[in-house]
Amino acid sequence: MGKIIVVTSGKGGVGKTTSTANLGTALALLGKTVVVVDADVGLRNLDIVMGLESRIVYTSMDVIEKQCELSKALVKDRRVDGLTLLAASQKNNKDDMQPEEMKAICEKLGETHDYVLVDSPAGIERGFSNASAGADEAIVVTTPDVSAIRDADRIIGLLQHAGIEPINLILNRFSPQLVGSGSMMDQDDVLDILNIDLLGIVPEDPGVITSTNRGIPLVYEDASPGSQAYMRIARRVTGQRIPIPELEQRGFLSNIVNWFTRNR
Amino acid sequence: MANSIVALRAYRDGLHLIIRPHLSIAEVEEAIQQEMSRMNQTLVGASVQIDLKCPLLEEEEMTYLKSKLQETYNLTVRSIETFDEQAPSPIAAAPTTHEIAQTANTQNGRDSEPSRIIPYTIRSGQAEGFPQGSLIIYGDVNSGAEVRAGGDIVVLGALRGNAHAGLNGRLSAVIIAMDLVPVQLQIGNFINRRAINQKPRGYPEIARLGVEDVIIVEKFVKF
Ligand SMILES: Nc1ncnc2c1ncn2[C@@H]1O[C@H](COP(=O)(O)OP(=O)(O)OP(=O)(O)O)[C@@H](O)[C@H]1O
Ligand SMILES: [Mg+2]
Repeated sequence: MGKIIVVTSGKGGVGKTTSTANLGTALALLGKTVVVVDADVGLRNLDIVMGLESRIVYTSMDVIEKQCELSKALVKDRRVDGLTLLAASQKNNKDDMQPEEMKAICEKLGETHDYVLVDSPAGIERGFSNASAGADEAIVVTTPDVSAIRDADRIIGLLQHAGIEPINLILNRFSPQLVGSGSMMDQDDVLDILNIDLLGIVPEDPGVITSTNRGIPLVYEDASPGSQAYMRIARRVTGQRIPIPELEQRGFLSNIVNWFTRNR
Repeated sequence: MANSIVALRAYRDGLHLIIRPHLSIAEVEEAIQQEMSRMNQTLVGASVQIDLKCPLLEEEEMTYLKSKLQETYNLTVRSIETFDEQAPSPIAAAPTTHEIAQTANTQNGRDSEPSRIIPYTIRSGQAEGFPQGSLIIYGDVNSGAEVRAGGDIVVLGALRGNAHAGLNGRLSAVIIAMDLVPVQLQIGNFINRRAINQKPRGYPEIARLGVEDVIIVEKFVKF
């Protein structure tokens, strides 16, 4: 039985889809069988980020409506073994799906895959309940700004209420320079507020946008800092104990600033 | 902010409704209504002492006022005291922060009041309340979260959200947090007008109502 993990955030545009695509691909590159599920019915874009949009024939809605078998709706990613996508219907909306239906699909996928990664839409309404219905675990994505963090906190409360555990954090679009200059919250501040385990820190990386536009997840490019961050995150998801090197990568200046503020 | 005829104040022995010189009972009634709407009707069930600063009210007017307070605002009048016009007014003697602090742990029912412990962090969108007494939180109250208590609120963590102490109008209620960085504080019916800290100070702080009904924040040492 594989792990069903919902990738969610509360606030929109913080990097859920980017994280799902890259983590899914990274896990497959590590030899795992993975299915990434787009739960953003009506506003799907996991297929675009994965570069698979032209090959979609069926969606999860067709499976629910018994138009096709679940296995037939999975789109195989040809670049790596063991990776498939289950697309969301673009012409329906979130209320056309019931949480139990999504749960049944995820559980069925869990029987044949090591990981089922569900890309949740933003918000706390039906889309979120659908996406998290079948989840054993959650990954909360946030950026280091107060409004994203407050929404992440809200989502964590809802996930805890639903008994989903563990809940881990990806801190996305992190910029050590901005932290160093005092204009961005550092990871300690974020973790202090959210009080969940950190899965990894993904830096602000212009490569994300070009990779999104080309439909080639960042993790295929070894050199990019974002790619390396997602590869480390994938290893942590598989249970490997890998330190978070981003912590040491903080600028010299910021360490001094921290030293002063801590000892005040 | 307070109207000139009627004022509601919390003292060591409980709530006082102060009635100052006026022209007619109708005027008093209207002033009470104003004062109560300022209090948002959160005083339901409380008992008040009426401090008459003028001997102008007739016996039947007093009876009328008592039943009016009971019916309309669910306030019980526990006693009536008439003050000589020359005597120092109870308002001038309104409790300073110091007085509240000294009497805090002995009076105002703190020792007889129940309290509720919340052994976890309260996150955005969540709310916890305890109108019957004080709240103690073994965790944080995050931005977007809300805690409300009839008595005090003690956060053994960071208070980053909204806190409302003294729900039933007990103005001696206090809010204490290890890190006091709230979005908004409210004591009785008074909201902080100036922003509280942006960043944690590294020591616990206490917020309470000072003179002029302004919420003041100080380093918390002990009661
Ligand atoms: N680490 C990063 N560095 C730079 N840009 C990023 C990074 N992560 C995400 N982005 C950009 O932010 C935008 C939003 O990302 P993404 O679509 O993954 O967010 P989302 O949380 O799925 O959004 P939605 O709530 O709309 O589903 C995209 O344009 C993406 O390219
Ligand atoms: Mg998305």
